[in-house]
Amino acid sequence: MAPTFSHPDRPSSVVVDTLVRKGFEVSASQRTTITVLDTFDGRLHQAGLRLTLRRSGPIELVLVTMGAAQEARLSWSKVPSWPSDLPAGPFRSRLASVTKERALLPLLTISADVRTLRHLDHRGKVVVAAELLDHVGIEDADEAQAAELPTWLVEVLPVLGHADAAEAAVTRLGAAGLRAQPDDLVALAARSVGVPLHGRDSSPTVPLEASDGALDAFRRVLANLADTIDMNLEGTIADTDPEFLHELRVAVRRTRSVLAHGKSVLTTDIRDRYRDAFGELGQVTGPPRDLDVQVMGWAAYVSPLDSADAASLETVRVELDARRSAAHQQLSNVLRRATTRDLLDEWRAWLSDPDVGTGEHEPIGAVVARRIAKAQDKVIRDGRAIAPTSPAEMLHDLRKDAKKLRYLFECFGSLFPAKIRKAFVTQLKALQDNLGDHQDAEVQLAELRDLAREMHQRGSVDADVLLAMGRLSDHLDRRRQHERDDFAQRFVAYDTKANGRVLRQLLHEVADA
Amino acid sequence: MKVVATYSIKGGVGKTSTAVNLAFEAARTGSRVLVWDLDPQGAATYLFRVRPKVRGGSKRLVGSGGELAGHIRGAGLSSVHVVPADFSLRHLDLHLDGTKRPMARLAGLLDPLREDYDLALLDCPPSISLASESVFGAADALLVPVVPATLASRTLGQLERFLDGDADAPTVLPFLSMVDRRRKLHRQLVDDLTAEWPRLLPTAVPAAAVIERMGVERAPVGAFARSSVAARVYRDLWAEVAAVLWPED
Repeated sequence: MAPTFSHPDRPSSVVVDTLVRKGFEVSASQRTTITVLDTFDGRLHQAGLRLTLRRSGPIELVLVTMGAAQEARLSWSKVPSWPSDLPAGPFRSRLASVTKERALLPLLTISADVRTLRHLDHRGKVVVAAELLDHVGIEDADEAQAAELPTWLVEVLPVLGHADAAEAAVTRLGAAGLRAQPDDLVALAARSVGVPLHGRDSSPTVPLEASDGALDAFRRVLANLADTIDMNLEGTIADTDPEFLHELRVAVRRTRSVLAHGKSVLTTDIRDRYRDAFGELGQVTGPPRDLDVQVMGWAAYVSPLDSADAASLETVRVELDARRSAAHQQLSNVLRRATTRDLLDEWRAWLSDPDVGTGEHEPIGAVVARRIAKAQDKVIRDGRAIAPTSPAEMLHDLRKDAKKLRYLFECFGSLFPAKIRKAFVTQLKALQDNLGDHQDAEVQLAELRDLAREMHQRGSVDADVLLAMGRLSDHLDRRRQHERDDFAQRFVAYDTKANGRVLRQLLHEVADA
Repeated sequence: MKVVATYSIKGGVGKTSTAVNLAFEAARTGSRVLVWDLDPQGAATYLFRVRPKVRGGSKRLVGSGGELAGHIRGAGLSSVHVVPADFSLRHLDLHLDGTKRPMARLAGLLDPLREDYDLALLDCPPSISLASESVFGAADALLVPVVPATLASRTLGQLERFLDGDADAPTVLPFLSMVDRRRKLHRQLVDDLTAEWPRLLPTAVPAAAVIERMGVERAPVGAFARSSVAARVYRDLWAEVAAVLWPED
């Protein structure tokens, strides 16, 4: 962090007077806006990066590695939504390697009158600079929020190899009676308006003790999931990036699953009502999510084909993308409906004042241990029943069973010792990966065949494209079969005595707590 | 980090002005740039207004305990840092010869900085020597200024033959430098060189007074004459080099 100073009762001219007396030159003041950009879940911040768009004279994107001397600047005229909006090069690739499938969003915009003060050595080289930010304001901040931020700040900007000059500037500003600030401008501004620079957390895990009352624990878990649904709603409706829908969809499905596990805790009418409602909501999120996965993974999807086939499938990609957009539009229409808003509001209202169920006083540890044991029994029973000739639906059902078990570990994860839980979940995840890949290949195969039929009927496809679609379809079928063949081995690796012992140990710990 | 060396066996062909101006352009277009001045004359060091001092001299710098990080200085230009040169670099060959793997030594010194910079620009002295070979071992690309002179083609040919057969050799990116289109001989030689070396980058750097003024301004052309033809030419040249280093995804 750049050493930052201010003073609530003294004017900013103190900075200029202090530093000019020591030979600093001062630039003219320029009204500047600084927009901080990051993904919704704060990936840049978590990677130690800060991206800002500065508008004064020239417009520049500035990418700073926090705590490092070096920064990157790119002349650019507008807020990029994706790194791919920027020209090819290291600036873009550094951003893309961190943001991946998430869009860049403007988190907050600060405005200030900025003057630069620079100290030059006898060669005319800047050895230390300071940026004085006066009349600081934050876009859309209310009066109380704005009052929390100093009206002016000065940041000392050291130059590599000239630490002594920076230290001298810091000493002079301190000696002039200015107060060192705990953070730099961006961090102070973000705090004053309640913008979390570390991003929004969609984790399903809430802190719980095994001895907590079951109803309160369920309520906290479900309220956390409701928060996740709410915070991802706007981004899903706007189709800002695929992760909004993914997070929303998973939170809806977790909600439904937790409701199902609350048989002894929640009243039947509440469980039935909201399981149905969230079930319907979950269903409408399915097609756009499946298409998101296909479009996002297009390069990998066609990678087994030769370049000519891959190129001829471009029309298919465009068609899939159009289907994806249409599916998102349908979903947005549903999410915008008053009935959806009413559902979420009523759900919130119930969560804040829940009905008393039958087992509300039972400790959550015992309830979760029982539910996990039951879910595991079902996974084992259903998995053992699958033979090489069993229909695909049986694998699909097992996939759903495994998901329900996984959701329990995720939503009530804080009840378990992290190390043992992780060891068990790793085994479960290996099984889920196989079932998931099998299901993805099934879905993609069905989508591709449906698309081929439709394009053929429309007469909008030539023979080369159909042949390439056929070859892709063969490949998907082989992939599906490969996962199917792999299943038995994966399941045997999961269905072991050792894994059973790990699970019993986990359940023992929470049930007896 | 990509490593690019401005290199030529010939002297006075525009290596340093190219290194300094491309460092400026690379920084302006989003790269974190480290300029390593390897020329004992220290012209790049001078142009960036950095003190010409290699602490401990080139022997300590390239010796077994040497490292670059402690020698890096801010250039007073945003996003550009410099490892300065001093006269001790005249013995660079000798000092490299005293190391275990001289050809890999410069690459070894750059390795710890790979995450900190996107581009290292090595401004080389004119020669073909052990230091040059160590540069070839470190560089992804050699940016070779070719002046319109009768011996220029021969010099470029010598370099190509020297690197021929080395699978790890850097990509050679020759470009025309110090071209005066008012002179008939230059026009003729440019045509001949372009025909003989189709791999010449499309942009030719002109012989221009504004480039000579860099010594007075002690700054890249883009910093003091942004709208000049020379500034535009360096922008174009950098775009061509960047397209080779970071092809469109």
